[in-house]
Parts: sequence; C-alpha cells; structure tokens
Amino acid sequence: MSDVEIKTLTMNFGPQHPAAHGVLRLVVEMDGEIVERCDPHIGLLHRGTEKLIEYKSYLQAVPYFDRLDYVSPMNQEHAYALAVEKLLGITVPERGQYIRVLFAEITRILNHLLNVTTFAMDTGALTPPLWGFEQRELLMEYYEGVSGSRMHAAYFRPGGVHQDLPEGMLDSMDAWIKQFYPFMKDIEKLLNDNRIFRQRTVDIGVVNPQQALDWGFSGPLIRASGIPWDLRKSQPYDVYDRMEFDIPVGKTGDCFARYLVRIEEMYQSAHIMEQCITALRTVSGPVRVDDRKISPPRRGEMKDSMEALIHHFKLYTEGYKVPAGETYTAVEAPKGEFGVYLISDGTNKPYRCKIRAPGFPHLQALDMMTRGHQLADMSANIGSLDIVFGEIDR
Amino acid sequence: MAEPLQELGDYIAQATGDAVMAAYVRLGELMLDARPGRLVALITFLRDDPRCLFKQLVDVCGVDWPEREKRFDVVYNLLSLKNNQRVRIKVATDEATPVPSVASVYSSAGWFEREAYDLYGVWFSDHPDLRRILTDYGFEGHPLRKDFPLTGFVEVRWDDVQKRVVYEPVKLTQEFRRFDFLSPWEGAHQVLPGDEKAPAAAQEKSKTS
Amino acid sequence: MGVITPTKPDPVTEAALSRALNDELADKGFVVAQLDKLITWARTGSMWGLTFGLACCGVEMIHCWMSRYDLDRFGFAPMPSPRSADVMIVAGTLTNKMAPALRKVYDQMAEPRYVISMGSCANGGGYYHYSYSVVRGCDRIVPVDVYVPGCPPTAEALLYGVLQLQKKVRRTGTLVR
Repeated sequence: MSDVEIKTLTMNFGPQHPAAHGVLRLVVEMDGEIVERCDPHIGLLHRGTEKLIEYKSYLQAVPYFDRLDYVSPMNQEHAYALAVEKLLGITVPERGQYIRVLFAEITRILNHLLNVTTFAMDTGALTPPLWGFEQRELLMEYYEGVSGSRMHAAYFRPGGVHQDLPEGMLDSMDAWIKQFYPFMKDIEKLLNDNRIFRQRTVDIGVVNPQQALDWGFSGPLIRASGIPWDLRKSQPYDVYDRMEFDIPVGKTGDCFARYLVRIEEMYQSAHIMEQCITALRTVSGPVRVDDRKISPPRRGEMKDSMEALIHHFKLYTEGYKVPAGETYTAVEAPKGEFGVYLISDGTNKPYRCKIRAPGFPHLQALDMMTRGHQLADMSANIGSLDIVFGEIDR
Repeated sequence: MAEPLQELGDYIAQATGDAVMAAYVRLGELMLDARPGRLVALITFLRDDPRCLFKQLVDVCGVDWPEREKRFDVVYNLLSLKNNQRVRIKVATDEATPVPSVASVYSSAGWFEREAYDLYGVWFSDHPDLRRILTDYGFEGHPLRKDFPLTGFVEVRWDDVQKRVVYEPVKLTQEFRRFDFLSPWEGAHQVLPGDEKAPAAAQEKSKTS
Repeated sequence: MGVITPTKPDPVTEAALSRALNDELADKGFVVAQLDKLITWARTGSMWGLTFGLACCGVEMIHCWMSRYDLDRFGFAPMPSPRSADVMIVAGTLTNKMAPALRKVYDQMAEPRYVISMGSCANGGGYYHYSYSVVRGCDRIVPVDVYVPGCPPTAEALLYGVLQLQKKVRRTGTLVR
C-alpha cells in the first residue's frame, strides 16, 4: 500500500468566539479532532497602554492599570502604587494598608468567581455563572461605595487609597461574608463531584512542576502543579505578613486541580477579609500618606486654605516628581504574578513603564498544554489558564 | 539588607568571568550589566548554579535611551523561588546588533523577545520564531521607540466603495495636548524680550543663536 | 430630540386591552392589526444580541445578561453566532488589528441588523483615543444605531441603551431601511 500523505487541517479559532475569553485568535493545526499545534495570535486588543503611560503624569497613569486585567482591577493598581511608592520612598499609613489588603482580597474573589463560573460555562454548566455573578454584583456594590465606579475604581493611588470607607460598609461586608460560605458550598456541590465536569477537566492540560517553572507560570497555575509559591507569603507587601491564611497547593497540575485551587483561594480570601474587617474596626488614622507634596488635600480643605489650594493645583496639573530610579515590583494578582517595571527619570512622567502580565507566559504555554488533546479540551484549557486580553495585549 | 545581595552580585561577576560588567544594588534590587556576547552563558549560570537557582524568567523588556549610542537596553528579570530572590540583567544594544536569544534556556522567553522585537526593533539571534506579536499584521515601525509618535502614522476606516478596511494617514480632530509642566520657577530658561535683569542668559542666547 | 416616547399605559387600560383582545379572539378567531406595528412588536420583542465583548465593557455586558439585570426577559437573548443575531453590541476597544474581523462579523449578520456601540472606547476611541493602534470609534467600521456612554457603562446603562434601541426600531420601522 503506497504511503498516504495526510495534511493537517489548519483552523481558525476566534477572534470572535464565545469560549475565546476575549479577543484570541488561535490558528490550530489539527489531525482530525486531535490538536497537533496551536499558534495564538494576540495583539487584537493592543491599545498602546505603555506608550500612553509615558505621556501622562504618575497620577494620570493610575486608571490605565484598572483597564488591564479588567476582571480584577484593583490588584493592578496595587502593583503600580507599590512601585511608585518604592521609588518615592514613602510608606502608606496602617489603615490605608488594611483597606488595600481588604480590597485586594475582594478583587481576588471577584476574579475567581468570574473565572470559575465561566470556566464551568465553557464546559457546559450554565447555572454557576448565574449564581456567581450575583455575588459579583454584591461585591461591585462595595467598589461603588468606596470609589464611585463599579469596575474601574482608580482607588489605590501611590500614597494610599483615595478616600476612607463609608459608614456601614464594614457591617455590610460582614453580612456578605456570612452568606458567602454557604454560596460556595452550593457551587462546590454543583461542580466538584459532577461527572461531566470531572470528565472534562481531570487529566486535561497536565503541567508538571518543571514545565511550570520553565514556562514562567505563577499564581494558581504554579500552585496547582505542586509548587507552593505565593508572593503574599514569600515577599509580603502591605499588611499581608500579619494575615493568617493558607495557600492551597494542588497535586496533579491538570484543569481540575487549578479549579480546586481557585475555589479554596476564595475561602482563604474571605478569611483574610474577616481579619481585615476586624482590624479596620480598631485601627484609625489617615488612609493616605500625609505628605502634601504627594497626596492631594481633601476638597473641603482645598476650598478653605491657600496652601491646600496650591497643593491641589500643582498635584493635579503637574503631578509629583518621582526621584530617578527603577524598580520591578510584583504583587500576587489573582491570575499570577503581576509586575510593574517602572523607570523614572526624575520628572513628573514615567520614563518607561513595562507591565508584566501573568497571562502572557501562560498563554504562551497553551501550545505545550494542548498538544495531543481534542479541540473541545482547548476551550477547557483556555478557561483554566484564566486569560484576560486586557493585560496580555495591553 | 543590601550586603547579601551585593555579595551575590560580586560572586556572580566573579564566577562568570567577563560576562558581567557591573553589579550593583539599588533600592534593595540587584542589577547586573551584562555583555551581549556572553549573555546565554550568564543566564544559564544563573539558572543552574546552586547559589543562584533563578529558575524562572519573569520578564524581558526593552528600554529606549535615544541619546545613547547603544540606544536600547534589554532588561531581563529573573526570580529564584528557592532563595526568594530577584535579579535584573541589562544588556545594551543598538538597532542593528542582535542580542542572543535566551529561548533555549527558558521557554517563556519566546514571546517576551518577540514583544521586544515588535515594540522596539531589537533583533534576537537564534530565536525560534521572531515575528510581530502585538501590533497589527502589516505594521511598519516600532511603536515604543521614543521617536515614534504617540498617534502613529496610519489609522483605519471602512471604505464602502472598496468594500474593505483601508489604512489612511492619521487625521485627528483634536491634537493630543501635551503640556510642559516643568515649573516656571524651576528649570525654565526662556528669556523675555526686553528683560534687562537677565543679562547673563541673554548673552548665552546670543552666543548659541 | 425627535424621539417619540409612547405614553405609559396604565393598568386599567392594559387590562381592558387584553380583555378586548381575548374577546375578539374568542369571537372571530383572528385579530386584525397594522402589519407594520405587528412586525416591529415581533422584532423588538425578540432581538438577539451578538456578544462581541472586546474588553472591559464585555464584563459589564455579561453582568447585564446575568441574574440582576437580566436582559433575557426583554427577549434579548445572547447569541454567539452572527448568523442568527440581530444586534451587535460592540463592547470594548476596537484596535486596528481587530477592525477587519469586526467588519466581517457585521457582514455575516442578516438584515435587519443593528449595532449598539457600548462604552467610550467603542464610541470614539475613549481612553485610548490618541493611541497608534486604536480605531477612533467603531462607527468608522460599522454603522451604529445607539451609543451607550460610560467607562464602562453600568449594566443598567446598557439595559437603557437596549431599550432605546427598541424605541428606535419602533419609531423608524424595519420594512423600509
């Protein structure tokens, strides 16, 4: 029998696709139903954020960070605020740090809720998103209460947070946490022992620890592969060193392990929130650094005092000048290690601001993860990688 | 706090011979200036040496310093999970000289180097797949260079006659307003005409003009 | 400006109307109505939206379809495929690289089709207006019917935008476009 040459089928997956989680164009080479190779084409949401930041002052650059990973906005702001504070050499007052940790954990829950429920939706379960998004709405009410906007808050600024929490928010959060634990139990009941969900996620996209290190994984992905690495524990920032929480570590490194790690992280985040709320009831003080050369005065003060008016004017037009230097600051964003490499040349505008998004190396590894799997597993893999194009393409 | 880092930097500089030109610690972060020719050897040493064990490549980016002769800096950030340490390696290059790719050492470098090539035009030799990643398919130019304008050169619209998306030169309805915020009391050098109190500045100006 | 808002029906007239409808049906077996109004009632009552979420506005769009601001109760079901969708909600920043794909998806939709531009990036470039790789408004690529402002517009604002689109369809009709 003569040799038959079989050509692989090249198929285009996206950029408009319900399971592509944003604008992802995957050129997939397939042998029948099995994926031989996949080549992600990104850049369909490349908005030139880094170039735009170079033309804005440090305060004006804060909202760009919200719009990077738009399902967990405040964690990105956190990284930028920490980077600028490192260059400025200032420390945020204690209450501001507690508020930051509280909202960072709220953001972590927001992110994991969206990821876990839409991952379930990709595999066919349509109920978890409907339940999970109501929880997200309740959390977005806190965003709105504290900053005015449901999503892009511009709340964490270099120097602290913009303003203090409104009255009654801490009690409201207590009530929310109480109903969150039963809600999570419901979601777990739906998915954990679900035969269909397990068949679609167990042993799919297995990543062993060596590969995880080599491909630059971080966050839940590296923990699901068995490496206990969490920046909140190893290189703590703000008041994370005072918080008591556990880090879930997976064993198998497949999609199901990543899902379980995220579920457990939500429980731990709620636990951290409880500790922050208890602390915030006793810790008082300013929420941003007192230095009037960096953080603007309150509006009431600005309308009364001449110095406050001048400070307000100078800070909102020219902005503060950051001493020359460079830093790479990373935080444990819900998706992984989100880092900001900031170079300042001594003026009021950043010279170079490189944004290291966790999704970038994760998506690169998609090719390695999906080889030999079927096309339907591709969407399960993409879902479990937690890809958001705002941060990958910037 | 800085001593163990500085010691580590000196140890690396010693062990790799002439690969490291300088090792210094600023703001608690260790930075190494490396020679492009010995970059792969240095990176491999950093990954495998027992005192270093920088198993993860966190980031590769480019920086443009147009006043310098070697205008681009390629910056590598590495992370050691075991020793809980970070290190930064900087390599200087210009538009024509390629930098050896570290994709053979760390698989995650592939896309980071593609991005540096796309946004800055830095060439990487021995890269498995060097092509544009973030910018448009037929994009000309390297956007993050300091001489590339913010708004670019072309913009896009749908042409109903040709029934396709066409690229046209940029026409903005309102120009991007760039304010020079440097304070008038600190650092401004303009001399107002007829200002008798500024004789020295006026003399300087007449010399240069 | 020029938008005719229909008068709010009160419950008494509503009840009387449905009673009259039922009586007519029971009596004759058929109902007579204006063809135009019938068609717009059918079309606005069941406008399926193409989920074209590009960036952050996409998340608010998803929120609009979820339990709190359920868009489905207006008949506005999410439909991933352009072939069966009536409305395309461009939610997020449109970049130069994505523009041909957007137009292709729009061309694949069957008439009558509408476009809702959601968020300031889709309206006019928004926060990234001056960037080198952003299309300054999706109306450079596709014709837009309703613009929903905001960054991102709250899910409620998108809901309002959808209702405005329904009003526009009622006003302009669909037979002659």
